[in-house]
Amino acid sequence: MKQAKKNDVIVTQGVTKVYAADGIPVNALAEIDLTIRSGEFTALMGPSGSGKTTFLNIISGLDAPTKGKVWLSGRVLSDMSGNELSDFRRDNIGFIFQAYNLIPVLTVEENVEYIMLLQRVPKAERHERVTAMLEAVGLQGFADRNPTQLSGGQQQRVAIARAMVSEPAIILADEPTANLDSKTGAELLAMMNSLNLETGVTFVFSTHDPMVMESARRLITLRDGQIDTDETKYSG
Amino acid sequence: MVLKIAFRNIFRQKRRTILTALAMIVGFTLSSVFIGWSDGAYGDIIAMFTRNRIGHIQVHSDGYLDKPSLYKTISDYSAVGEVIQTIPGVEAWTPRVFGAGLGSVGEKSTTVQIIGVDVARETETTQFDKKVIEGRILGDTFSHDIVIGKGLAKTLSATLGSEMVLFSQGADGSIANDVYTIVGILESGDDASDRVTCYLNLEDAQELLVLEGRIHEIVLTVSKISQVPKITKAIENRLNDSTLHVAPWQEVAKSFYRAMQADKQGDAIGRIVIMLIVAIGVLNTVLMSVLERTREYGVLKAVGTKPTQIFRLVLCEVAIISVGSICVGALLGVLANYLLSIYGITLPEEFTYGGVKFQTMYAEVNARSLIIPAITVLFSAMVVGLFPAIKAARIMPAKAMRTH
Repeated sequence: MKQAKKNDVIVTQGVTKVYAADGIPVNALAEIDLTIRSGEFTALMGPSGSGKTTFLNIISGLDAPTKGKVWLSGRVLSDMSGNELSDFRRDNIGFIFQAYNLIPVLTVEENVEYIMLLQRVPKAERHERVTAMLEAVGLQGFADRNPTQLSGGQQQRVAIARAMVSEPAIILADEPTANLDSKTGAELLAMMNSLNLETGVTFVFSTHDPMVMESARRLITLRDGQIDTDETKYSG
Repeated sequence: MVLKIAFRNIFRQKRRTILTALAMIVGFTLSSVFIGWSDGAYGDIIAMFTRNRIGHIQVHSDGYLDKPSLYKTISDYSAVGEVIQTIPGVEAWTPRVFGAGLGSVGEKSTTVQIIGVDVARETETTQFDKKVIEGRILGDTFSHDIVIGKGLAKTLSATLGSEMVLFSQGADGSIANDVYTIVGILESGDDASDRVTCYLNLEDAQELLVLEGRIHEIVLTVSKISQVPKITKAIENRLNDSTLHVAPWQEVAKSFYRAMQADKQGDAIGRIVIMLIVAIGVLNTVLMSVLERTREYGVLKAVGTKPTQIFRLVLCEVAIISVGSICVGALLGVLANYLLSIYGITLPEEFTYGGVKFQTMYAEVNARSLIIPAITVLFSAMVVGLFPAIKAARIMPAKAMRTH
């Protein structure tokens, strides 16, 4: 059995996912062995249906592999109960989704604050961190707005703030720039890059966006559910 | 935050929330009026039945209630009455004598029940004077007056001033007979009883039946009917006499009480219908709401919300709608019961229950008419809400976030 090293935040071993589509088994992932180290800025590339989103879902515990094991910060995800997995995600993983996925009934401030509330962070500290994070993503003055009152780019900034505010070890971003214009996408990418460099948080993107591929320091290409190429451009 | 999200979610689909709340409000109000009405009607029936006829508690010689007999008597009834009168909550008491015989007026005869009453005490205890619809009440001791039931007067073609001969058996084994003057016609509200009953002054009845100061029954009323069990126990303890039997009205009028209890069982069916109305309304809307928000629940789980917290969130929404509906339903229920307690509903024809005639039925405003519907609505809503809540809690985030 593969042993996760101290610096390895994500380790997968023989991860396989088979979906049943109309009763016909479809191999979404096949025997993926991969290690992502702390502080990496990694892009998962590949055509639609290559398994990028499925892989992100499995390494975050949002979905279970059909076969294989995932270690996240040294812990085996399949050994955790539903509540343990929720706690683990809350404390270790930040998510940025293609469709933003903000909670529509909460304001910008409440959306960003939500995870800290689950973590029972004291009110004063929550307020301080939310204010700082909204400033960092350029949304000062938008705290009381509802997500529906924001543009796509602004909503994605809120999503980034939500993912970052609890200071997770890993941020998983599924096509974060797909719904944004290129200027906004570039701004947000630059922001995530600088957060990665400043805080050392590990970023893993799934993307089609050439800008993201250009920014990433490690490029992994998936094809038909298998790793096709794994290239490190330069060490972070 | 769970409460905040739940509260705001309720107002996202206002029309749906209003429909759900309406199902609960209608269910609550119907249930409340049903109970208030039932309690009010039965309360009136019990009050009339006990106040007019049997009293709230009776004392007899042991065994008399099960098998009445001329010989099962209470000797020193005044002493027993004095003890009873000292017990807190007792309003009034009256002695009675019973006998069976033959009554004749002119050439007509029929079997009769003879009841000897202490006129003053009977009036204080069961409003005897108000039941006399023609003529007057009985005179004082040894008056040889007789008051007869309306039906009996008709059977015997008797009128006021007619002479009535009573034949019976004395307690000493002798043939008892005497002549009395009809001074009043009485209507007790129980037609069957009025067809056979005649009333004599207590002393006249004791003389006729050769009871020598003895009586068969002491009837007493209490200020609060809810205290009957407690006062019954207190009388038993104070009398401490194994030859006497103290019985609450429920024991005295067993068949009436059982019939009323059986009728009340029907209330449960009404409650089940109301629970079904609430359940269908809640299940439909909450399930729809959960299905619509599958993606959101997936996101909440993805960012670290525990399944148990999602479960609580859904139930919290159901609970908020339920509590709000219960408050509105309580206001409507109290208002409806209050109006019905004042104006009542007059039925096109009077009806008889337990031998007592009724035409106008009144509701009652009481705690039961609020507590039972509240429990019914909340319980059915929460039980029905469990299924969508479990469904939401078990959502797989990755799958949920693929839905639109």
